[in-house]
Amino acid sequence: MVTGPLAQQSHNGAATTSVQAAIDMVATGNCAEALLALKRELPHTTDKQLRYRAEMAQVRCAMAVDDEQTATTALLKLRHEAPDDPEVLYITTHYFSELGMRASQQLEARAPASYQARKLQAESLESQGRNDEAAAVYRAILENDPKTPGIHYRLGQIELAKAGDAGPTADAKKEFQLETEVDPSNASAHFVLGELARRNSEWDEAVEQFSSAAKLDVGFSEAYLALGMSFAGSGKFINAIQPLERYVKMQPNDPAGHYQLAMAYSRTGNKEGAARELALQTKVAKNGLSATDTTQGHSVRP
Amino acid sequence: MTGHRSRGRAQSGSGIFQSVSQALTRRGLLRAMGIGSLGFSGLRNSWASGITRAVSGQVGSADSLAFFDQVPASKSKINWSHTAGISPEMYLPETVGAGCAFLDYDNDGWMDIYLVNSGPCDFYKPASPLRNALYRNNRDGTFADVTEKAGVPGTAYGMGVAVGDYNGDGLQDIYLTQYPNSILYRNNGDGTFTDVTAKAGVAAPGWATSAVWFDYDNDGRLDLFVCRFADFSKTKNVYCGGHGAGERYYCKPNVFAPMPSWLFHNNGDGTFRDVSKESGIAASLGKAWGVVAADINNDGLTDLFVASDTAPNSLFVNRGKGRFEDTGVLAGVAYNSFGVARSGMGVDAADFDQDGWIDLFVDNVDHEMYSLYRSNKDGSFDDIAVAAGIGSTTAMMSGWGVKFFDYNNDGDFDLLICNGHPDTTIEAHHPGIRYREPLLLFEGDGKSWKNVSGLCGPAFARPIAGRGLALGDFDNDGSVDVLITANDGVPLLLRNNAGRRNHWLGIKLVGTRSNIDAIGALITYKVGDLVRQRSKTGGGSYLSSHDPRLVLGLGNRARIDWLEVKWPLPGGKIQRVTNPPIDQYITITEGQNGWK
Repeated sequence: MVTGPLAQQSHNGAATTSVQAAIDMVATGNCAEALLALKRELPHTTDKQLRYRAEMAQVRCAMAVDDEQTATTALLKLRHEAPDDPEVLYITTHYFSELGMRASQQLEARAPASYQARKLQAESLESQGRNDEAAAVYRAILENDPKTPGIHYRLGQIELAKAGDAGPTADAKKEFQLETEVDPSNASAHFVLGELARRNSEWDEAVEQFSSAAKLDVGFSEAYLALGMSFAGSGKFINAIQPLERYVKMQPNDPAGHYQLAMAYSRTGNKEGAARELALQTKVAKNGLSATDTTQGHSVRP
Repeated sequence: MTGHRSRGRAQSGSGIFQSVSQALTRRGLLRAMGIGSLGFSGLRNSWASGITRAVSGQVGSADSLAFFDQVPASKSKINWSHTAGISPEMYLPETVGAGCAFLDYDNDGWMDIYLVNSGPCDFYKPASPLRNALYRNNRDGTFADVTEKAGVPGTAYGMGVAVGDYNGDGLQDIYLTQYPNSILYRNNGDGTFTDVTAKAGVAAPGWATSAVWFDYDNDGRLDLFVCRFADFSKTKNVYCGGHGAGERYYCKPNVFAPMPSWLFHNNGDGTFRDVSKESGIAASLGKAWGVVAADINNDGLTDLFVASDTAPNSLFVNRGKGRFEDTGVLAGVAYNSFGVARSGMGVDAADFDQDGWIDLFVDNVDHEMYSLYRSNKDGSFDDIAVAAGIGSTTAMMSGWGVKFFDYNNDGDFDLLICNGHPDTTIEAHHPGIRYREPLLLFEGDGKSWKNVSGLCGPAFARPIAGRGLALGDFDNDGSVDVLITANDGVPLLLRNNAGRRNHWLGIKLVGTRSNIDAIGALITYKVGDLVRQRSKTGGGSYLSSHDPRLVLGLGNRARIDWLEVKWPLPGGKIQRVTNPPIDQYITITEGQNGWK
């Protein structure tokens, strides 16, 4: 009897052969059999290239036979093992879109009168830019149940979209306020209200709303940045430090956080901290394009 | 500056999956909301309604004198036009316009006009010769073109102009910024100028933009700071945009590398020494457009605020002994609140709230808002543009020439800005943004600002590709007039009607120990209940140079109790003048009692 490394080697060799055979089966449309073989042999496959090909085959087969569980698991595994692979990203996009489509069809078929079905319909209209139609569907949901959470929020977003770059935002603000009444736990609604206030230099209101957003969702990093900025805007740099310190811990690669923290340190006499944060700001700004950079170009060389 | 800078709104809420996820919806929300979240009632109630009123004749009609009247070329006899040389290759200099100046080159007490034009260079060969223009003031509302006799046509692709008496002979000299080399024209005093660039050593190779004369080392001689824009040449031009028909556009400057600006020390013998490196100026790389020289920390040393485009603005604090420190970032004037550089264009400095500390202004491009920086009296500044109402009005505009001045002589600083998007193709890609935009005038009372553009007359309702802006009282009525250049168009001469409604005193300061142009002087005056201070800053605006005289607004008060001039170092003395006249110009000379 062969034991130890030699036995392992022999087993790997057999697995390799079986996996290759399974991949070949996929190519000929023998999915049911191939899936069984892949499920059995993949855990023993160490060759990276072969493993990649096998997992891709597994995904394709599972999708073909509507085995959602296997397809999803395999795709997530591929995303983990080959996060930048274009083919993996491409298939993932398509498959999850397909899953989404199926789920929406099921929703429409099984609970057509539910607010979730109508909300999904409205969101679809929004995505097509048909804001007025979407708003009508949202309002119909509210007529049926004025306490439905998330609807005023969506109406607020529509109002913001309609306001565009130059329109008034009073209607949007009203919807977000209504949302916080319907669903006081909606951190996003508080956040948007805070942002509307911040943009108008209404610092007390901004601080209150951003504080609520951060309290309701402790992982809401941008709420801490916005809170810090609002404190700074009102000249309360001491108060700005804590939320900004929290933000840079949560989002160390955002130069905005380091910049704001540097300013807060500087204005409170912490020159050393300010210099440190400015250095970090410069460093992370160089490392990547800031999401806030409004001036990054579309330039391409001929 | 240029290019399709309009920030795309994030699609929060668009797409089923995106909107289902609250986490996704909120991601980047601060930025995603964009400027569109702002209330724009200010904008709509300001210039837009101004246009409406102007069209309907409510402004500028015979029975209601508008604040400003445009002086047509048929009356002024200024028949010159700027040619940008706009080409399919879309070289960036084609879209940034050129500057202008009010100056008294012949010392007759009347403001003459200088206008900068494009010229030959590696990327541009004019089909017919182009030149700058010097117009002599005929003292009757007309001007005469004396360029040829004066010998100041320019030699390359012109940008800006800075006027100053660098050799202290009492005659105003002209520094002309150009691409790829600048020129110093020395005033000969007989109506002619001599190009002394080579001897002076101030060619400043590269793309020079604004420049300013000021005395950084307080030796009584005017030194020269020259803004340098990006590293640009024909061979470094970049293609921006898509490759389909009409998809190319003018690049944003972020595709070009930043460069250091220049500082030249005046040796006092007609030559200058490049001290850019040893002074610390060259340590800051930027893409500089506008510059203003002012003492921002009241230490008697003149500092510099430089607007930079897609690079941090610089606040060069003069530390003495020939050294400058760029404190822009920690002073809070370099970036927007996200720590991102905006597109700084024109700048100015004035103590608009009269708290004894210089405040700053810089205009930017659309979606960025203009910045009004109030001094915290500790070297730092807060941007109060939003609270002042200037932020929302300017959020979608692109500004260039800008100047604080007291347009109605009520004793308070007001703010005039000329605007226009830098990209000639912007409207094809962003329908909400216009290439030509109207002028803006904000009236200040020391605490708040009111957009009064709608009351300024038809010239403020007509959109232009505004660029340079110079102030000067060309008709000597105490009501400070305005000269504006348009890219690839005719200049706009605006006669101010508003200042005549109040009393005033115009002052020409002549330094003897301190620099002859008295840059850095501080005038304090008391008129009944009104006490005001005016600093004589250097430069300001965009590519332009201004009437060197200060006009003090008195409101309806008909008597000045006293005024004091604190001369800049090395003079540094306070000179008091009692019972000066009003409603006329006087000259106050350092060390000489009284006035002339």
